[in-house]
Amino acid sequence: MVKVDLKLLKNQAKIELGKIKDLKELNDISNKYFGKEGKIGQILGSLEKLPKDKRASVGKSANDLKEFLKVIFEKKSEEIKFKIKKEQETKDWIDITAPGKKPTLGHLHPLTQTKRKVEEIFQSMGFSIIEGPEIETEWYNFDALNIPKNHPARDQWDTFWLKPENLRLLLRTHTSPVQVRYMEKNNPPLRIIAPGNVFRHEATDASHEFQLYQVEGLMVDKGISVPSFKAVVGEFFRRFFQKEVKFRLRPDFFPFTEPSFDISITCVVCGGKGCSVCKGTGWVEVAGAGMVNQNVFKYSGYIRGKWQGWAFGFGLERLTMMKYKINDIRLFRSGDLRFLNQF
Amino acid sequence: MHFAEVGEIKREGKDFSLDIDVRPNRSADCFSHIGIAREIAAITNSKLLEPASKIEEDKELKAKNFIKVEVKNSGDCRRYTSRVITGVKVGPSPQYIRKMLKVCGLRPINNIVDIANYVMLETGQPLHTFDGDKLEGKKIIVRFAKKGERIVTLDGEKYDLDNEILVIADAEKPVAIAGIKGGKSPEIDEKTNIVVLESANFNPKTIRNSSKSIDLKTDASLRFEHGVDPNLTEIAINRAAFLIQKIAKGKVSQGKIDIYPRKILPNKIKLDLDYVKNLLGILIPEKEIKNILEKLGFKVSGSKILSIEVPTRRLDVLTQEDLIEDIGRVYGYQKIPTIFPLASLIPPRRNLNVFWEDSTKDILKEMGFNEVYNYSFISENDAEALNYGKGELIELENPLSSDHQYLRPSLIPNLLKNIADNQKNFQDIKIFEIGNIFKKFVTKKSAQKPAEKVMLTGVLTGDAFYQTKGVIDSLLNKIGISDIWYNEYNPTPEESKSCLWHLKKCAEIKVGREEIGFLGEISSRVANNFKVEKKIAVFDLDFGKLSSLASEESEYRPVSRFPAAVRDIAVLIPRLTKVEEVLRKIQKNGGDLVKDVDLFDIYEGESIEEGKKNLAFHIIFQSEDKTLSSQEIDLLQNKIIKALEENPEWQVRKQ
Repeated sequence: MVKVDLKLLKNQAKIELGKIKDLKELNDISNKYFGKEGKIGQILGSLEKLPKDKRASVGKSANDLKEFLKVIFEKKSEEIKFKIKKEQETKDWIDITAPGKKPTLGHLHPLTQTKRKVEEIFQSMGFSIIEGPEIETEWYNFDALNIPKNHPARDQWDTFWLKPENLRLLLRTHTSPVQVRYMEKNNPPLRIIAPGNVFRHEATDASHEFQLYQVEGLMVDKGISVPSFKAVVGEFFRRFFQKEVKFRLRPDFFPFTEPSFDISITCVVCGGKGCSVCKGTGWVEVAGAGMVNQNVFKYSGYIRGKWQGWAFGFGLERLTMMKYKINDIRLFRSGDLRFLNQF
Repeated sequence: MHFAEVGEIKREGKDFSLDIDVRPNRSADCFSHIGIAREIAAITNSKLLEPASKIEEDKELKAKNFIKVEVKNSGDCRRYTSRVITGVKVGPSPQYIRKMLKVCGLRPINNIVDIANYVMLETGQPLHTFDGDKLEGKKIIVRFAKKGERIVTLDGEKYDLDNEILVIADAEKPVAIAGIKGGKSPEIDEKTNIVVLESANFNPKTIRNSSKSIDLKTDASLRFEHGVDPNLTEIAINRAAFLIQKIAKGKVSQGKIDIYPRKILPNKIKLDLDYVKNLLGILIPEKEIKNILEKLGFKVSGSKILSIEVPTRRLDVLTQEDLIEDIGRVYGYQKIPTIFPLASLIPPRRNLNVFWEDSTKDILKEMGFNEVYNYSFISENDAEALNYGKGELIELENPLSSDHQYLRPSLIPNLLKNIADNQKNFQDIKIFEIGNIFKKFVTKKSAQKPAEKVMLTGVLTGDAFYQTKGVIDSLLNKIGISDIWYNEYNPTPEESKSCLWHLKKCAEIKVGREEIGFLGEISSRVANNFKVEKKIAVFDLDFGKLSSLASEESEYRPVSRFPAAVRDIAVLIPRLTKVEEVLRKIQKNGGDLVKDVDLFDIYEGESIEEGKKNLAFHIIFQSEDKTLSSQEIDLLQNKIIKALEENPEWQVRKQ
């Protein structure tokens, strides 16, 4: 008799559950079965009226039914909740094609970004970063670099002089004075780079500036020669442009290096086919370099002939222009945020 | 690839002209067509054909009968060679000479003058021609000009001379500025019969000085300034005489006048082939090295350690390295292998300036700032607008323009210009720059020595004093500087006249006892001068001090496991009372359990008594070792309120 009741109850509950549409109805039915006066409760409450030998088995059946119903109630509840959520979110439609709201970002100057890249690459090859003053003496900027007074070689560097003239102070025309300043205080072996502003008394146009950012490099040791320069500089280009870049050395003249050469790379803009940036040649000159002149070692306090080394000077503007295809060098110091916000 | 860069190749009829960038070290032998030809011959393994110069001298005529030459200063005129050609027919030059001159940028005049120029282009030796009949006393004297002497040059320009300028004179007056330009008086014209040719060698410094002092550069002065081989005068004068004989049909007098007291002999250099290998990093066979040097005109003898005789035209070759350069470039740098250096594993030294500069830039970027790079110069107007004392500014001797008259004594002026330039395109602007400023700093030793230092300066648009202060707090905290406070700036009356800051909305930024910079609004007078229309706030920090104070050390403080409670408090205080006083009182009376006090509102205006302001704080209570009961918190809160109300002018508004 009781057994039939339980089976009936199970089926009845299943049917009722199937008809449910929302959480309220679920709740009502839940109360009907599990509530204080619920059907399961009634059964469990009537147990003591049963004969002792049946109590245990009926009690167990009732509890099993209770557990079973709980599981299917829970499942139904999940189903309904999911359905409600789906309906709700369908109503919450937004137009995903409307524009996003951008956070205000800051920007580092492209020359800073290039400088960091250059510093990172050379530091990884053991070069320390050294700085020097922008106001220089005639000695460090010229004489110590084997560029004597009254020599036409000086005409290669159009110079800003400072008042009063008798102090013979100037704005450095290159970062090379840092070589001498560093060697005076340090003995080889040494590997340094020296980034910084340099100044040229020159008229400006899209490819000429009177204030530039340069990076000097210097490696001195016993037996340092041209092959190691080619290896280091080649590695630099590869990492800086993140692709294989061809470069070549051509003879040039700098009083502080002998032999001297300039370094050209295949034009990154046109891939060497020839364009306005490389003036149709496919090559762009990016640096001057050479084996340190023994006179410079001498002026720095080293014994002539004891050491060998190479030095180079890169213009950061040129590298940056190649990297980002910038067509006017004057943009760098224009302060124009329409330019700077692009980096 | 082996010698010099060809800039431009231009078609000239059936021919081509090449614009070759000869570097200044090779001026002596390569500011000439023969020099370039000699290089090409060496590089391409061809034979150089020297131009003809075989003269037929007329034995009836003796050069020394036509002209006497006297050199007074043989240090300045190292050689003077002269030839005399008579019976010339002056007229236009043949077409090939005229064309050559034009292509090279010279103006054809007549056959005699043109030949002199033509031979200069060919050989690199500047030549000059005089009409022998017009030289007073048949004399040529090389001397320094006398004070007051003047000369009219061939192009009709007048020059005042002085005793630093070397001249060629006849018996009476200067007839040419030595090595630079000829004078009008003895010029060649259609009637000229006797041509006196000059092929001289002058001291480069002498010519450079003269050229600078009269501000005149010519094809001749360019070559002499760079230095010319004294042994070239003879080769060039014979070539010119040959051409005059051939073209102008003159008779060359027998003999030449040649004043050359100290003959220059070829220099000898020992070249160690081991050093060649060590410097170029490649073993080039001895035979090939010898071959390269010989092709370039060096005389080579010996083995392993070679003895090299340098032709006198190669003024640039003085050392072994100079020879190694010649070997390297002709051999070809492209044939030199690429090999990474073997070096001791010495890690690079860390540069803390660069490190802190990078950190600072990143932090400001995170805060939405844009970095700018400005020129290191300011204009005369900027200097005036900022009321800088002329004594502290560094002025340029030769500025590019009045816009760049002085070195910048501060990063502020150019940043203000950036704001002015960008204000039409952007609403909110936040920019900064790290760079050097330049001033004459007064030191103990010398009164005023030009010096530079690195500054970090930024500008924010808007009513941004407190925002700027917040930027500084966050920035300094991030680079490990904690002991930050702000001091009211009290300039002396003298300072306040030139002060670019708003007198009241400005503060000194201090770390411990050290002042590291300023922040605040810019005086409206200065902002107007720079056409800044927006309201702005500025910070200006000594970056050197900043990076020396910065530290990477920081320590984690465990988060308390116990809940924090927040109570609000509002205090009405006189307008001129500082927030700091109130804060200090709260902290002192709240003790350690007050974790933080957060000022969330300052209000003055409507609904508030005039002359007063209302401050509203969140006070955060938290203990490290228990949950605070509300009674405990009330007790502290009341203690704080009581303390605040001790001041009769302060009134706590209970909420």
